[in-house]
Amino acid sequence: MPSLLEAQAQFSDALLGRAGPPGMAVYRGNVFGNWSQALAGAYPIARKIVGTEFFEGLAREYSRAHPSASGDLNQYGARLAEFAEVFRHTRDVPYLPDVARMEWLAHRAYYAEDAAPFSLEGLGESSRLRLAPPCALLASKWPLARIWAVHQDDYEGEIAVDLNAGPDRILVHRPKWRAQVRALAPGDYRLLDCARQGTALSEALEAAAAEDPGFDPSLALAGWVDAGVITL
Amino acid sequence: MSAGIGLRAVHCRKFLEARPALGWVEVHSENYFGAGGYDRHVLGRVRRDYAVSLHGVGLGLGSASDFSATHVARLADLAAWIEPVFVSEHLCWGAAQGRHFNDLLPLPHSREALDLVAKRIELMQDALRRTILVENISAYVEPEGSEMQEGEFLAELARRTGCGVLLDVNNLYVNQVNLKREALQTISALPAACVKEIHLAGHLPRGELLIDHHGDRVAGPVWRLYEAALERFGPVPTLIEWDTDIPPLEVLLEEATKARDALAA
Repeated sequence: MPSLLEAQAQFSDALLGRAGPPGMAVYRGNVFGNWSQALAGAYPIARKIVGTEFFEGLAREYSRAHPSASGDLNQYGARLAEFAEVFRHTRDVPYLPDVARMEWLAHRAYYAEDAAPFSLEGLGESSRLRLAPPCALLASKWPLARIWAVHQDDYEGEIAVDLNAGPDRILVHRPKWRAQVRALAPGDYRLLDCARQGTALSEALEAAAAEDPGFDPSLALAGWVDAGVITL
Repeated sequence: MSAGIGLRAVHCRKFLEARPALGWVEVHSENYFGAGGYDRHVLGRVRRDYAVSLHGVGLGLGSASDFSATHVARLADLAAWIEPVFVSEHLCWGAAQGRHFNDLLPLPHSREALDLVAKRIELMQDALRRTILVENISAYVEPEGSEMQEGEFLAELARRTGCGVLLDVNNLYVNQVNLKREALQTISALPAACVKEIHLAGHLPRGELLIDHHGDRVAGPVWRLYEAALERFGPVPTLIEWDTDIPPLEVLLEEATKARDALAA
């Protein structure tokens, strides 16, 4: 009689293979269904872009290349962007990897720690800034903010996207409960990137101003603090 | 505590508006492993007015490898916050060779599996500083190597670790059809005092098999088996689960009312 370890390894091989009794096919269906559903939940825009049927195929190939590493399905799918870069069938959708990067950041933002209220009082020149937990930055050559906007369920208006309208520097954040994406001006992007790195306030504001002549340090700082994006 | 329902994301808004009269609600633990966000916020609000139980679907108590201490630690944090009335896990495995299947896979009722699962339950109970409940799963293939019946296995786990049993009556019925295991035999093998919670759900016939899809009303034969279980175990808190093709909240509440009536009979 095989040990439990051996028996589970065998069962696992059978699950990933094709042979076995009808019951094994049920497990295959359940297992792949769970993975596929988790990916569809994390990547609704990528799924709309490539279509449901193609996405199923992508999900199947992804599950082979990057197995689930956690019993928490919300952790599954972190490397879809990386996979879409090398998957030969997505080569004609060159912006798909960056869309997936953006969606994974939004997926993480959804579950991230709530931003603690914070005010400008107590902020000194040497204070080290931080990006609030649900926030993340992404720079891309594609117009990600526009791609995000036109794929929202409540979006109304022109849906055409000019793929040459990039590059975009975006902020993924969660003002209340829903993750949102907005395009950033160069100065704001620099300021938030400094916050991400824990740079001191005076240095961060200087760097942002150097990047962007139109950058207004006090207005920007107050705005991002108020929006719960920058914290201490 | 009478009858409750599994609370799923699609029903949350409606649930908070309607505030139905229910014994308690149960949620899947892993859905609340994040540090914050809307789902946790809603669960906190539900918790103000209802008892909540945590039902784990991803740990895999019986995985011979790839058992995650981090997963247990997350669950312990969640339980410390929500102060659940029950914490339950499945009698199954879920990961091997570095890969999680995110499904409930069947264990043989062997002495080796018993030792392993008992050790894991003790580890969990130490981390959570409370006893947990362990649920019998449905299965589609019979794993090799069983040395005892399912009822004996569960009873022995309870005896060794002090854990309770979450008896899923639909799973008993599904296994009776799929694996020819006698449901009533399992019921009679369990000491009455160890069954702390009962689950009811729908299943779907497919070919020779019944699929435990949690996507329909509880079937007639399962209600009858439930009555037999209540006769043996007394009025055990009973939960309606629905996870695929989820209907309006009212349908779950109707099923919960049926369970409540059976509990009161």
